[in-house]
Amino acid sequence: MAKLTIADLKKIKEKVHKEMSLRDGDRRVKVTVHMGTCGIASGAKEVMDTLLQEIETAGANDVIVTTSGCMGLCSREPLVTVEVLNQAPIKYEYINPNKMRQIFKKHILAGEIQTPFVLAKGSEVNK
Amino acid sequence: MKVFRSHLLLCGGTGCQSSGSLAVKKALIEDLDKRNLTEEIKVVETGCNGFCALGPILVVYPEGVIYVNLKPADIPELVEEHLIKGRILERLLYREPGTDKIIPTMQEIPFFALQELRVLKNRGLIDPEKIDEYIARDGYAGMAKALTEMTPDQIVKEMLDSGLRGRGGAGFPTGLKWKFAAGSKSDIKYVLCNADEGDPGAFMDRSVLEADPHAVLEGMVIAAKAIGSTQGYVYCRAEYPLAIHRLNIAIAQAKEAGLLGKDILGTGFNFDLEVYQGAGAFVCGEETALMTSIEGKRGMPRPRPPFPAVAGLWQKPSILNNVETLANVGQIMLRGSAWYASIGTEKSKGTKVFALTGDVANVGLVEVPMGTKLGTIVYDIGGGIPKGKKFKAAQLGGPSGGCIPVQHLNASVDYEKVAELGAIMGSGGLIVMNEDKCAVDMARFFMDFCQDESCGKCTPCREGTKRMLDLLTKITQGKGKEGDIELLEEMAGVIKNAALCGLGQTAPNPVLSTIRYFRKEYEEHILEHRCRAAVCSAMFKSPCQHTCPIEMDIPSYIALVRAERFEDAYKILLQTNPFPSVCGRVCDHKCQSKCRRDNMDESIAIKFLKRFITDNAPRPKIEAVPVTRKEKIAVVGGGPAGLTAARDLALRGYKVTVFEELPKAGGMLYWGIPSYRLPRNILDHEIDDIRKLGVELRLNTRIGKDITFAKLEKDFDFIYLATGAHKSQKMGVTGEELGNVFGGVEFLRDFNANEDKWLKGEKTLGKKVAVIGGGNSAIDAARVALRVGSDVTILYRRLRADMPAAEEEIKAAEEEGIKIEYLIAPLKIEGKNGKVSSISCQRMTLGDFDNSGRKKPVAVADSEFTLKVDAIIAAIGQVPDMSFVDKKTGVEVNKWDCYNVGKGYKSRTANPKYFAGGDAVTGPDTVIAAIGDGHQAADDIDAAIRVANGEPAYEKPAKEIINVPLIIDEESIEAPQMHMPEMNHDTRKLSFAEVELGFNREDAIKEACRCLRCDAAV
Repeated sequence: MAKLTIADLKKIKEKVHKEMSLRDGDRRVKVTVHMGTCGIASGAKEVMDTLLQEIETAGANDVIVTTSGCMGLCSREPLVTVEVLNQAPIKYEYINPNKMRQIFKKHILAGEIQTPFVLAKGSEVNK
Repeated sequence: MKVFRSHLLLCGGTGCQSSGSLAVKKALIEDLDKRNLTEEIKVVETGCNGFCALGPILVVYPEGVIYVNLKPADIPELVEEHLIKGRILERLLYREPGTDKIIPTMQEIPFFALQELRVLKNRGLIDPEKIDEYIARDGYAGMAKALTEMTPDQIVKEMLDSGLRGRGGAGFPTGLKWKFAAGSKSDIKYVLCNADEGDPGAFMDRSVLEADPHAVLEGMVIAAKAIGSTQGYVYCRAEYPLAIHRLNIAIAQAKEAGLLGKDILGTGFNFDLEVYQGAGAFVCGEETALMTSIEGKRGMPRPRPPFPAVAGLWQKPSILNNVETLANVGQIMLRGSAWYASIGTEKSKGTKVFALTGDVANVGLVEVPMGTKLGTIVYDIGGGIPKGKKFKAAQLGGPSGGCIPVQHLNASVDYEKVAELGAIMGSGGLIVMNEDKCAVDMARFFMDFCQDESCGKCTPCREGTKRMLDLLTKITQGKGKEGDIELLEEMAGVIKNAALCGLGQTAPNPVLSTIRYFRKEYEEHILEHRCRAAVCSAMFKSPCQHTCPIEMDIPSYIALVRAERFEDAYKILLQTNPFPSVCGRVCDHKCQSKCRRDNMDESIAIKFLKRFITDNAPRPKIEAVPVTRKEKIAVVGGGPAGLTAARDLALRGYKVTVFEELPKAGGMLYWGIPSYRLPRNILDHEIDDIRKLGVELRLNTRIGKDITFAKLEKDFDFIYLATGAHKSQKMGVTGEELGNVFGGVEFLRDFNANEDKWLKGEKTLGKKVAVIGGGNSAIDAARVALRVGSDVTILYRRLRADMPAAEEEIKAAEEEGIKIEYLIAPLKIEGKNGKVSSISCQRMTLGDFDNSGRKKPVAVADSEFTLKVDAIIAAIGQVPDMSFVDKKTGVEVNKWDCYNVGKGYKSRTANPKYFAGGDAVTGPDTVIAAIGDGHQAADDIDAAIRVANGEPAYEKPAKEIINVPLIIDEESIEAPQMHMPEMNHDTRKLSFAEVELGFNREDAIKEACRCLRCDAAV
């Protein structure tokens, strides 16, 4: 990346906002696997590996995977956020590889929210 | 083509395989083969069908029935029921999650809704290894503004106006620190970030560094501009490899983007930084020790002045700020100091991030405005204490801090209030402790930590922490002496004043704080060798025995059940308890609350096992004990306290007479506890055994009326007053004097005295009955009222979790059809023709916490409503009835209507002839506490007599030696507590037959095998 100017900061903000809000045609679902130390200690790496493997096997090109740090509720890790285009993000709790597979097949591919594993929907509001 | 009548599709996908589908497949094929079904039923292994978390999965065609969570052991039943008999096996059936189950939004979950994110505003939303995502959420915009639109003076002013105080723990105003450094003249200055985070239990800084490292970098650049620095260091502890990794990536990306290093954003401003790793020393989190460490020397503090803002790292002006402090800076620049200061308290502005951990349901990171109540953080955000345990204290500030106990749950968490309560805000570690934690042990733990981490440079800390740790350790081992607490306080004062750095100066804080709020616990450890949390195991054999008010030898009798030596087990029971049958049915079993097995699965059913022993082993025969002593003792009150004292004294050769005003002895055991909980014959046998010793029992005799106190004093040498507490407290509402309004205990007594009439229907409460109260008496009254034919509703003014009644009692009442309404308080009682016809009530909501840690019920305006009732039972508590006490005896009755004792002996009153114990001294308490009081009184009376006669102290006769086997299992398999079989819900409320049916032999032995033998000493 070249050295930025202040104007560049604003441009990056707009560009990333667009990308992150999935308005681009070939991105339908964004999955965030939360990987702070709390998540990793509870098995988030295995969950991440499983997710990537399932995406590859299914050839799902419209699913993007990203990570973040700890999202606050450490005691329920591993936590995974699934955001389908035009829908509220769904936060899943206590995820393990098997639950990740089920969420991938039933929610991400088939659109059925897996209610027994859900913590909440929506996002924290930042005032 | 072969035609099968049924196809079984077994999922063979990766998920199901990892859950064991191959073993299930094998079992299935074997079973079908055994039953010769392989020609009719085909097993097909399919690919994954998507229910990976519910596997192994089987779909049966042609029906299309889905079975989930299969185990090989389920197969025979499945084949038998579904494939042969054609019946769907309900318990393994897949159930569609209820479509009406609403998914809450994040805002509906208090953990998230009550937080105010500023430092943590990006949490969960950005990839920390992509600088673009940080920039997209206003990242570096504050820095841009500071570098292009503000002068260093303006930046400092903005920081001062914001009111931001150092978040590392000391709370020094950040703007002021920067101002001093800005004012120091030097060509080289340093900006340092303290990412050492050494407090045990604190992980806020780690979380920020791992999730949002750029926020810290941005803050440091702004700080550099403010003070005139071009070089900085992030001192991060090596135990945070992920944080260091992400910091380094962030630094590299920021440099590449021109946001760090030379000519930042093209403004000409230079600032570079590196990460310096700490090497595992808590003391290096201290300002001057940290700088010494960066200089390459052993991390030891330096005296101040000079302060770092004048002479810091390499003697150059330096500022050291905490991670959380720096993470606030960018936003303060961008949104302004007024925005930052808009929340918080007058002297503590902004938010604070807490690492909420310990005995709390929601462990995690909590960011709240300064001034939030502690109770809000622990209960509303934290979700309260799991497993029904009680809150004891919250530890703030780690090894430098102190604890805030239950009576201060309403305290606002800000720098000033926390300091006033004897703790410090600290870096944010908030450790919640429940009733199973020992205050003394906690102080020892933190002192151990400080002693270990002390660098050794100054004598007060090096020697002082060692000696304090020594003292504390001795106290936890039962080797404490009188004067130790005062010595700890004295040493604490010296170390606080004389230590060179914050580590030593604050190391005594946890000790001082626990002494302040839990001095009684220290005294119990020293004087009684008692640890009420059952943690300091050097002082006791097993936590269960230690917690029992009469120290029953629980591990021994459980081991004897396991060894099927029930008679010997009975003997062990009787060594300490004259009423084991009774306690096996009605004890509040505090022993079980400290059972270590509960940490694994569930506590041992100690109470039920005690009952099993008394139900299944022959009771040892009782022989009369000859009277060998000349002193005569009168016991007033035939309840458990009085009878226990009578028994003990009779065993020592005294002639004892028990006076009981009611027609039958037993006290609350007979007149308060209904027979479906405690059958009459069980109680009678145990009272009879006391009579057989030679104790005279005079029923229907009221002291103060039938026999005067003067006569009693003439005929007896000593008198034990164990008259109980059985006068119901009044609710204090109008209409309480109307007919059919009873006190709880009075109703139960009337029922027991006129059982025939009640059961025949000659006496009746009427159709609808309201019971007010939430204790065991209320539940007892309600379940009796139900059995005599009424429709019963219990009205309680708080929540279920606050009810003092035993959980199993509440459940039993609900199972019998008794309704319980919460948050309701009675306002007034209305009547017709002198009898109650309705009760007006008010709904309550929960306000602030009271001293017991429960939320106070507060009336909701305009919420009155009326219930039609035929009778009301007010069971809100009991007090002793002292109207019969002759003032001339000199026995003191205090303002709670209880006897005053403790004059010379624990149970002696102001008149040396009179001793007292049981509910009449303590207020309503448990059976086992009354038995304990009875033992104490017998000891005291006997001791007083011997002292007066110049005789040597009583020597207990040698106990029969019972060899208890020591069997410790190599491995304990998780299993819940053995379930107590009960009478069917519908049949049992038609009679007073005992509801709990008792363990059978096999189950009792199985349960006894779960005991982990905490008493084992090898």
